[in-house]
Amino acid sequence: MSEQLEIRDLEVSIGSKKILKGVSLTVNQGEVHALMGPNGSGKTSLAYTLMGHPDYHVDAGSVTWKGENLLKLTPDKRARLRVFLAFQYPSVIPGVTVASFLRNIYNAVHHPQQPSPEEAGKMPRYTGIPLAKFRKLLADKMALLKMDPAFASRYVNEGFSGGEKKRLEMLQMAILDPQMAILDETDSGLDIDALRNVAEGINATLSPEMGVLMITHYQRMLNYVTPQFVHVLLDGRIVMSGGEELSHQLEANGYDWVRQQVGLPEGVTDQAAEPEPVGQHA
Amino acid sequence: MTVLAPSIGFGASTIEAISDANDEPAWLRDRRRTWFERAEATPWPSGQEEEWRRTSLDRLPRDVELLLDPPRVRCELDAELAGAGVVFSDLRAAVREHPDLVRRALEEGDTPAVPAPEVGPAGAAPLQPVGSGEWGPGVTEFDSHDKFWALAQAAWTGGTFLYVPADVAVDAALLARSTVERGNVAYFPLTLVLAERGARVTLLDEHRSPDGQPVWFGGIVDIRSGREAWVRYANLQRLGDATWNIGAQRVQVGPGADVTTLNAEVGSSVTKVGLDVRMTGDGGTSRLLGLLAAGEDQHIDINAFQDLSASHVTSDLLYLSALYDRARAAFYGVTKVRSHAKQTSSYQECRNLLLSSEAGAEPIPVLEIETNDILRCGHGATAGAIDPVQLFYAQTRGLPPDEAERMIVRGFFEQVVAQIESEPIKAEVLQALAARIGSADVAEDAA
Ligand SMILES: Nc1ncnc2c1ncn2[C@@H]1O[C@H](COP(=O)(O)OP(=O)(O)O)[C@@H](O)[C@H]1O
Ligand SMILES: [Mg+2]
Repeated sequence: MSEQLEIRDLEVSIGSKKILKGVSLTVNQGEVHALMGPNGSGKTSLAYTLMGHPDYHVDAGSVTWKGENLLKLTPDKRARLRVFLAFQYPSVIPGVTVASFLRNIYNAVHHPQQPSPEEAGKMPRYTGIPLAKFRKLLADKMALLKMDPAFASRYVNEGFSGGEKKRLEMLQMAILDPQMAILDETDSGLDIDALRNVAEGINATLSPEMGVLMITHYQRMLNYVTPQFVHVLLDGRIVMSGGEELSHQLEANGYDWVRQQVGLPEGVTDQAAEPEPVGQHA
Repeated sequence: MTVLAPSIGFGASTIEAISDANDEPAWLRDRRRTWFERAEATPWPSGQEEEWRRTSLDRLPRDVELLLDPPRVRCELDAELAGAGVVFSDLRAAVREHPDLVRRALEEGDTPAVPAPEVGPAGAAPLQPVGSGEWGPGVTEFDSHDKFWALAQAAWTGGTFLYVPADVAVDAALLARSTVERGNVAYFPLTLVLAERGARVTLLDEHRSPDGQPVWFGGIVDIRSGREAWVRYANLQRLGDATWNIGAQRVQVGPGADVTTLNAEVGSSVTKVGLDVRMTGDGGTSRLLGLLAAGEDQHIDINAFQDLSASHVTSDLLYLSALYDRARAAFYGVTKVRSHAKQTSSYQECRNLLLSSEAGAEPIPVLEIETNDILRCGHGATAGAIDPVQLFYAQTRGLPPDEAERMIVRGFFEQVVAQIESEPIKAEVLQALAARIGSADVAEDAA
């Protein structure tokens, strides 16, 4: 049975600031949706809310996935329901190697365990996938993403270039094999070679069992990964939806064209945008 | 104002009793007396000293009896190394079996401020300093633990003696394990490590005591390295939850020598350890590593003195603590670069991860630099909670909060753990820490 991520009338704020003002969107397994919009329009806020970031407060609306109210679940439980978020700005985890991080998260998602009460807090998670089997899985996925095996013994995102960080997000996605993947600007900060690299990785990982919500504010990523649906988020609302052709219209006409079409004043949201960090090639 | 000297549960007659019970030679008996007099003449820390501001001794269980008959420290050495002249044994046994060597080692370590015993054994040969005197006594400005150093020199009843002759390499880590088996006692074990010119050695010095009953544990450690010696010393403190651990460690680094000490502080109710590192030989290197995992009402206070009195030396300190519940960690470190020490390099870094809103840390690094001719001298100190962004990131990958926290704490410690070269010692340290931080595998090699 095909599962469905259903977002309805979602309103979200941070502190007293309203960021999402009623977002509705449905993504089925096997579909690729692109969510586009200028900086500051609320794309990352939507992604974080879907994943349960504690700073984002849901004021109204609902999100269901696999028949569950996703908003009630902690981030780790959402991950175990096979929802995945590739971060726009992935976090460093000092002192934890990529290999060990990946094995821990693989076990967390695919072999979750309930420690007995007296073991709680002390339970090592050594009982998941056998080490040799995991190493094989990791080697395969790294080969698929054309990654240097030496990458596995580095510490998670420590000293990584922008491109390396994005590739590690893709490697995590490949290892966790999600059924709903939210990719937040996986194309940002990449030069053209790194972009192609990462896009090939996404394509290699995509499967008919995976629904994808691909967040971007450039059309260029969509040259590699073709969406069936394109949505435009402006000022906390989805103001336009269409097929792949909409991304080309956006590319040609810009967001001010969207604003004119929907009767919003020009260029309001870009004022609040954070500057995009300068990415480096992996 | 009249200050009453706090009473301790033993006196000069107890010191004599140690010598009687062990049938000790006259020089050792005299040496104990001399040090006991000095201990009595040395005031207790008043709490006004910078090193003692953060730890009060009010509740130190002073009035307990001295542990006269501790179990021997378990030391194992293979026959081949013994044949090469390596001595590794319980200190009392070493006094009997290698009296001259132990005597030399002990007396050479006495600072010039200590009057040498006036009476020696009749007809004894003049003492030759071990290692041709290359480590020397160094300077004596580090005085925060003088009282406790003197008490331990006078009242040690157990300890570990390790001697590695010149150019002898001990490849496998040596393990010394000592356990205090009952409470309501004071115990001052002495660990003495001498690595002669070109010697190589790794030692794990593990200490335990029972939970629940007060113990005054006053272990002191004296490490001396000759020219180009290579020493790795790990102190694994797994003392019981009612033990007061007031210890001192002195490390003398000879010319071109390379010495790393690790203090893994896991147990005790209160720990107050003073580290005295004397970079007295040109081109020497020292690393002072610390891993502190504390919870409940544990209090751990480290003060360090890195004394750079020779040229082209490197001395780096890295202390990391993970603090749970209401635990407190204090760190006060002084790096002193002497005016005549050229082209030195040193760093002090103390980082504290607070895993509860009631935990607290106070890291204070101080630099005293008497010359412009330095390569590098710096410090860093931090104290804070886990970055919520890291926690969220790990959670979105399926790790429950407690598991994510364990992984992050273990990763935080990796900066020190990765520097433990001996795999068996690394495994033991991690196993001991796991009682507090839990176990998480963070450094698995993908190969
Ligand atoms: N932690 C935060 N605190 C306050 N405002 C925030 C925070 N995160 C995002 N915002 C604001 O929310 C709005 C939407 O941001 P975001 O979701 O990051 O947009 P996008 O990903 O589309 O660029 C912006 O105005 C931004 O400044
Ligand atoms: Mg964003």
